Amino acid sequence: MTARLRAFAAGLELYALALTGVLALVPILLVMPFGLLLGLVFLLPAPMLAARRLTGRVRTRTRELAGFDVRVPYAAEPPPPVRQPDGWYQRDRQLFKHAWWPRTEARIEWVLGDNATWRDFAWLVLAPVGGLPGVLPVALPVAAALLLATTTMTATLPAVALVVACAAAGFALAPAGLRLTARFHRRLLGGPLLRADVRDVRPRHPVRAWAARSLRPVLQLAVLLLTSVTAAVVFAATVAGLILAYGLGLIFVIPWAQADLRFAANWRRSLAPWSGVSIPSPYRPLPPLVRRPDGMYRVGKSLFKTPRWALWSQRMHWVQTDPATWRELLWRGTDPVVGGLIAGVPVFLVVYGIWGLVLPRIVHFLAGGSPVSFWYGRFLGEPAAAIPVGLALAALGIVIAPAALRLHGRWSRLLLAPTGDAVLAQRVEQLTLSRADASDAAARELRRIERDLHDGTQARLVALGLSLGAIEALIDDDPGAAKALAVKAQDSAAQALRELREIVRGIHPPVLAERGLADAVRALALDCPLPVTVEVDLPVRLPEPIEAAAYFCLAEALGNAVRHARARTVAVRLDVFGDVLRMSVRDDGRGGADPSGGSGLRGLARRLGIFDGTVSLSSPSGGPTELIMEIPCASSSPRTSTSSAKA
Amino acid sequence: MRVVLAEDLYLLREGLIQLLTAHGFTVVAAAETGPELAAALAEHEPDVAIVDVRLPPTNTDEGLRIALEARRRRPGLPILVLSQHVEQLYARELLEDGSGGIGYLLKDRVLNAASFVDAIRRVAAGGTAMDPDVIAKLLSRARPDSAVDQLTPREREVLDLMAQGRSNAAIAQRLFMSEGAVGKHTANIFGKLGLGLSDDDNRRVLAVLAYLDSER
Repeated sequence: MTARLRAFAAGLELYALALTGVLALVPILLVMPFGLLLGLVFLLPAPMLAARRLTGRVRTRTRELAGFDVRVPYAAEPPPPVRQPDGWYQRDRQLFKHAWWPRTEARIEWVLGDNATWRDFAWLVLAPVGGLPGVLPVALPVAAALLLATTTMTATLPAVALVVACAAAGFALAPAGLRLTARFHRRLLGGPLLRADVRDVRPRHPVRAWAARSLRPVLQLAVLLLTSVTAAVVFAATVAGLILAYGLGLIFVIPWAQADLRFAANWRRSLAPWSGVSIPSPYRPLPPLVRRPDGMYRVGKSLFKTPRWALWSQRMHWVQTDPATWRELLWRGTDPVVGGLIAGVPVFLVVYGIWGLVLPRIVHFLAGGSPVSFWYGRFLGEPAAAIPVGLALAALGIVIAPAALRLHGRWSRLLLAPTGDAVLAQRVEQLTLSRADASDAAARELRRIERDLHDGTQARLVALGLSLGAIEALIDDDPGAAKALAVKAQDSAAQALRELREIVRGIHPPVLAERGLADAVRALALDCPLPVTVEVDLPVRLPEPIEAAAYFCLAEALGNAVRHARARTVAVRLDVFGDVLRMSVRDDGRGGADPSGGSGLRGLARRLGIFDGTVSLSSPSGGPTELIMEIPCASSSPRTSTSSAKA
Repeated sequence: MRVVLAEDLYLLREGLIQLLTAHGFTVVAAAETGPELAAALAEHEPDVAIVDVRLPPTNTDEGLRIALEARRRRPGLPILVLSQHVEQLYARELLEDGSGGIGYLLKDRVLNAASFVDAIRRVAAGGTAMDPDVIAKLLSRARPDSAVDQLTPREREVLDLMAQGRSNAAIAQRLFMSEGAVGKHTANIFGKLGLGLSDDDNRRVLAVLAYLDSER
């Protein structure tokens, strides 16, 4: 009894919060037209952040009242802009006199770029409905009363009895209703549970799993259909733009029509993994503006005095000469038909089968009416055939969906994937950059070694020589003083050795030379102040430059875990997948590491980039943090070393 | 005392021979490469072997591997390993079999002849000689809440020297206290770390090293 009462009270409180959500919606909806239509985007974050107070309260109360833990899903707030030594504030490639605008921009990006903001927004809209199960003792009788009011029931006594019965039933179901509502809050406010690093807590149900598996391709095709529709709109806009440009001479719309409308194709590329293919970006990189010795800028065959026009013209030139532009134009024109058909047929079969035949037939059967249409709720005018044919069509749609998805992927690749030339151009660009990085890094390293030797070891050896000279002079007259000097000389030599050892470790750790990567990583783990488990599975000895790069990257990653993560244990894993060396460093610290910021991560990316390696970071707030580094390695000299050890 | 020496650098090898001869050792073989060392160890059965980790022909950890192999064939063969750098990984491998007669020192320690010779004698007698750098790393990475943290500074000094393999008498001399005081400190340390106190100096050191190695 008290449990039901308590559940009812809790449901009421949560529902009151849900209703407050409607109030929080008002300022958001008020600023939205100004923000989105008039471009006053800086207005947007404030009311959305204010709404977070309310949703935060709902999270804590849901935990306290219903026992459902709701994660706080927001991304970490960006750090304030830092004033540079020259007095300016930098954001991207712009300088600002005052901190206000870069800070606002960062906040806008932070708030609007966070999916959690939009889930909050959806919660504000849906909560008055989603919260209803929590207040069943009120909701059920009210619903019953409303239903009675619409019918022509005249007797009051049965009506009152029904309402009372509904209230009693609602009261009995109050705890279950509260749980349902709490689940709703957790779904929307707790962030997506379907993430690689957060396990979905729902038990696997065979029916649910089957439905997800068979319906997913259909849903994916529906989204792909949407991209085809977008492509149609974009094509219309492009054609209009090109007509304006070449017909009326408004050439400034060309870059817009060709380059700014690439989002549709990019969207399609980003969805390509659904179809089992990957489509890299085909566009050539925008070349840097070259200034000639006479101070003019050259673009194609034209010369410009000012960089402003040169830049514009260069962009124009870049867009028009890239074959990807024209292939994409062809795609924009043809995809609404070809891609639309491939994606549309299975989707149409399912939608028409269920919503066009089965459901209308059931509704008509229950309501007693008869559909007038030839095709809606009837098959070829035959109502009885509607349900079997509808189910058959839906089943056919589901069956052909995977094949359609694969076909769709091949179609997208046909025009959107980079041509051989484009791939080569991108490769050249990438190699130029990484070669510059490599030579920079090598020069920096040599300079550092030179400085260390010059300031440390050389100076010590000079001191040692001086001491020996003094000893020689003193040894006959004052053996005592000579002896004291000899002790000092010994210290000098020992110190020089210590420093040399450090320098050598920085150039190429001796243990790496002696034992290879696996044992070098184990030695690294032993020197680490935290307990580090090391698992190494390297079937062969890797090429030396890769071993060295991998070693230094791991050393840096371990150092970061020790310095920043407040971790208690760290796990390091090394293995080779195909031709890729994969290194993972996982700690159980507080997480929340920012992948974009942090020079450490950029340094790692640069070091690995020289070998075409990549680095990726997963660090949800609250941990765990996992850093994954991958280096392609064509391994040489076969040597087996497979083992694991706890260090 | 008969010594087999393995060191690839000519100057250092000659210097070591001179130093050892001056202190009354007999260098029965001075190997330049790994295979020479293996042959010399098999032929001469020395009282102690002084081995550089890195030897030709591979210039990797040849010396260490041959030394460990020789010890497997002749358990307890006293070996003093010298290296330009010390790694806990190697220290652990050397101590793994749990018997004494192991030394692991930086080459720098040769500069202090008296303490170097003392270390050789200790190893030859079945004791241990661990480089202060190894011990310092072992001590520094013990967990903040571990028993090592509850030692007084004085006890830590005693533990440090003991882990290096020094006898009570040597520790007493080094820290300017009586041997009895060292004994008391040692008993306290073993009590705090929860280790059984043994009369055998060598067992005591190995217990401490194993404890520090596991403590993380």
